[in-house]
Amino acid sequence: MAKNDQFVPARYQPPLPLDKLIVQDGAAGAGDRMELDVVIVGAGPAGLACAIELAKLAKADRTALNIGVLEKAEALGEHSLSGAVVNPRALRELFPELGDSDFPFRAPVTKEAVYLLTKGVKIRLPTPPTMHNRGYYVASLCEIVRWLGTKAEELGVNIFTGFPAAQLLVRDRAVAGVRTAAAGLDRDGRPSAGAMAPNDIVARVTALAEGTRGLLAQAWCQWQRVPSENPQIFALGVKELWETKRPLDRVIHTLGWPLPTDAFGGSFVYPLEPNLVALGLVVGLDYRDAGLDVHVLLQQFKRHPLLAALLEGGEVVEWGAKTIPEGGFYSLPQRRAGDGVVLLGDTAGFVDVPSLKGIHYAIQSGIYAARAIHQNLKNAESLSRYDDILNKSYVATELYRTRNMRLAFRDGFYWGGIQAALMTITGGRFPNGKYRMHRDAEVGRRFSPDVRARSAERSDGISKVDAVFKSGNSTRDTIPSHLIVGPDVPGDVARFYARMCPAGVYEVGENGFRVNAPNCVDCKATDVLGPRWTPREGGSGPKYKRM
Amino acid sequence: MKIAVCIKRVPDSETRVKIAAHGKALDESGVKFVMNPYDEFAVEEALRRKEKAGTGAGEVTVICLGPAAAQETIRTALAMGADRGVLLQADKIPADPFEVARMIAAELKSTSWDLILFGRMAIDDYNHQVGALTAELLGLPCVTAISHLEIEGTQGLAEREIEGGIEVVEFPLPAVLTADKGLNEPRYPALKGIMAAKKKPLEVRPVQASAGAFEVVALSPPPERKEGKIVGEGVGAVGELVRLLREEAKVL
Amino acid sequence: MTPALAVLELRDGVLRKISHEVVTGSQRLGRGVDAVLCASGAVQGADQIGKFGADKVITLTNPAFAKYAPEECAQAIAERAKQGGYRAVIFAASATGKDLAPRVAARLGVGVAADITDLAVEGDAITVTRPVYAGKALLKVKVASQPAVLSLRPNVFTPVERPKAGAPELAAVTVAPGRVVVREVKAAPAGTLDVAEAQIIISGGRGLKEPANFKVLEELAKAFGGKAAVGASRAVVDAGWRAHADQVGQTGKTVSPSLYIAVGISGAIQHLAGMRTSKVIVAINKDKDAPIFKVADYGVVGDLFEIVPRLTEEIRKLHG
Repeated sequence: MAKNDQFVPARYQPPLPLDKLIVQDGAAGAGDRMELDVVIVGAGPAGLACAIELAKLAKADRTALNIGVLEKAEALGEHSLSGAVVNPRALRELFPELGDSDFPFRAPVTKEAVYLLTKGVKIRLPTPPTMHNRGYYVASLCEIVRWLGTKAEELGVNIFTGFPAAQLLVRDRAVAGVRTAAAGLDRDGRPSAGAMAPNDIVARVTALAEGTRGLLAQAWCQWQRVPSENPQIFALGVKELWETKRPLDRVIHTLGWPLPTDAFGGSFVYPLEPNLVALGLVVGLDYRDAGLDVHVLLQQFKRHPLLAALLEGGEVVEWGAKTIPEGGFYSLPQRRAGDGVVLLGDTAGFVDVPSLKGIHYAIQSGIYAARAIHQNLKNAESLSRYDDILNKSYVATELYRTRNMRLAFRDGFYWGGIQAALMTITGGRFPNGKYRMHRDAEVGRRFSPDVRARSAERSDGISKVDAVFKSGNSTRDTIPSHLIVGPDVPGDVARFYARMCPAGVYEVGENGFRVNAPNCVDCKATDVLGPRWTPREGGSGPKYKRM
Repeated sequence: MKIAVCIKRVPDSETRVKIAAHGKALDESGVKFVMNPYDEFAVEEALRRKEKAGTGAGEVTVICLGPAAAQETIRTALAMGADRGVLLQADKIPADPFEVARMIAAELKSTSWDLILFGRMAIDDYNHQVGALTAELLGLPCVTAISHLEIEGTQGLAEREIEGGIEVVEFPLPAVLTADKGLNEPRYPALKGIMAAKKKPLEVRPVQASAGAFEVVALSPPPERKEGKIVGEGVGAVGELVRLLREEAKVL
Repeated sequence: MTPALAVLELRDGVLRKISHEVVTGSQRLGRGVDAVLCASGAVQGADQIGKFGADKVITLTNPAFAKYAPEECAQAIAERAKQGGYRAVIFAASATGKDLAPRVAARLGVGVAADITDLAVEGDAITVTRPVYAGKALLKVKVASQPAVLSLRPNVFTPVERPKAGAPELAAVTVAPGRVVVREVKAAPAGTLDVAEAQIIISGGRGLKEPANFKVLEELAKAFGGKAAVGASRAVVDAGWRAHADQVGQTGKTVSPSLYIAVGISGAIQHLAGMRTSKVIVAINKDKDAPIFKVADYGVVGDLFEIVPRLTEEIRKLHG
């Protein structure tokens, strides 16, 4: 491959290892076996909302339900990351007995501003109608998750932290539960002295709430050939939490610089407290320049006059990264329920890009799933009831309204912006039909010959290794690599991986291509564009506190 | 075999230390609390001794002095395999370790234990003494900071690290031991263990902690790290380097 | 005004240098200092401790004190402390001191203000400073116990000569036989010090030119007497020169030695994440522009093959 040739990441990406992800129930390999009524994979907002609603329903009709939630992080919230500005609607439905002031929000949104940035200049834009945030709250998703966890445990839900679900247990075509990952393996995958074997958790219903780019959800959809009109597409968000010397009194979103014009994305700056500011840059993973590095762009972004004064003398207290499913309505799997299984939250793709909202959809989907699961366990009603409820709900209506908005931007920022404006004005009626979208990995990339772009490697701000340190990542160095790399990784592709990964997992150096798997913060960008991600032993990865 | 393990709930070692407004304690908002890592070795050792004693022949009781939230810490020990827990509930742990030892000794006194285990020190206050103080109050022999343990009937043999060597110590049971890293590899709590822990007895007993003889005046951040400097060039700079490391940096 | 009682430490029949620090530190209380030690007989050179400000040097003798006898020693010192009505009893927070101080304190009905880095007197009250949260904060505590039992962090109270009489007193004491018996002290097995836990890490990089040259760092590590481990930069582990177990953390794990010496490492510091929390960083490199000098507290520019052996010599002298 000659330099500066276009390459397609999909060509170098191994396929989903389906045969390793789907295991017949009863197969050898597990230590303990536990039986529950419902197992929920992922203690994020969707998973916990499902557990809470289900526990409440069971309590109301005095059924005893054994509900277990598996979480791969060592403690609740440690793998949760979002902006975030939250619509309280779903929490109100989950806790009708509580008021907004009881919820773990930080502050109501009072002032907000949207800017178009160029290098050195900011232009105030009128807030697009899809982005109004009055009545919503600035919050930390970590704090929301910990709060939900307490509520769930009060209701008798069992939460098992440090237990990643690595495989789906199946009986014929039905999902029977999950098998967790082993722990205590050495670099070569052999069990060390304190090793723990995988556990089988068998349940009547398995709810997959794995968050963005869920592995088991992908496996199930592929295995059961569940289609979606468009493939799911993703953006990568890199975020920092700052303790600032100057206060911030408004929620800010920006478009434009430092993103190149053929990339989709923008930034957010949210004050959790006047002097505790969450800021981040979100970039669609269909970017064309193979040298684009979201972490580096974030470091540049912080030097814009809009932020430089705010951040001066301040301190980064946390750093993190996560992908966001951006495909919207047309990328949702056509069925989110199957035999013994339901898909919740980000894992199903319930995120509205134009308003940057997904948390309340996640919680709402958990509530709906709980109702369907309850009826399924009680009266053997089909789990497809979950799909029925969803399809008639505001979740579907709202996602439908903005179904083409993100997709318009694949043609570039300016043309996309015009189309988006037209969509808003016409309430989604323009354009009719739908945009076709490619998988991110199928979009061709090349390295820009722009020397300036390449020298952006030598950036200001924090280095990736320091960033990983700030994510709280203390994964043991001797852990076996959890990433499945393709057999052939030419130089340009390796360099592309190195830029793509915000945590510096991939490095190209004197000794060639190197994979620093312990650096991984589970953002899943690699699973979208490069080497496939699989879960590692529980407790690995970041330890977010207020992200 | 009746074994007691005394544990403490402490801030995670990666905690970014922020000082509370009143300047005397840690700002606990957002702080993750865990079982003191040295106590994990103590719990693990207790479980191994119980297992060695044979089915039904051993019992491990976990005791913790701490706030209500410390129940979670005790549950972790129960999930690992301990049989019962006692929380001596006090919102504030006295700054005076002798007071802490006094309360723990009072709890331990009523039972005749074969073995009492502590972690060698807590990673928050680094006091390194509660185990030994408690042993004295109970009139029991004590060996601190053990990294190896053998028990034969009522005779014990332990190894402990000292500067440049390993002390081999003999002692009779019952005894109080404080555990150091290297004693064992603590087990992961199994899923079943986590479930079972919820049903194991956990007694919560409010206690009155008296202030003791130590009074916290202030908690403050460490002095700012000074700018680095090049000490000199070549072999000739070594003497000065060593002097600075000794007198200025105080690491030699 | 009742004096302070400084507890000295013996190793193989010889007074340990840390005892000088204890006497020096005890001076801060502004009263006289009596020094005490437990030994099986008179100790050669014990009276020299007067140099550091001890008015009296009391040697408590009993055959049991031929080696460290925790319970016997604790009994003897506690009794002497009570007899003498001392205001404070002060230990070094060494491995032995950390074991002995609480035993003595409990017998006196008090706790230990342990591992302190500073102490001051205000009127009749003693205020101490101690590092907490792994050194991420300093705690100031007013100690009202009578007597106050303190232990001093090693390497903080630099010994200062302020000669006093150092009048020797030899007192045979009877003690109840202890239940805890030290059978022997064995040598620590070589190479077991985990890089992740070492107080001192000496890391080598590509500048060492070939694997055999790591010997130079191993010599330096030995000079620190068991407290130091030899680490390696990732580049060197990748090249197969050193074992992966020696690699200093690469993923942001906190490795917190009090002293980190980076030898022949140019500034692939980003591969040595977490060493930033080392108390003191020293860099030795022949390139004065090497990025590592920006992170180091102290740097020496030059040929490591000359500098490191000289440093080894100096450290040996210190620890001798």
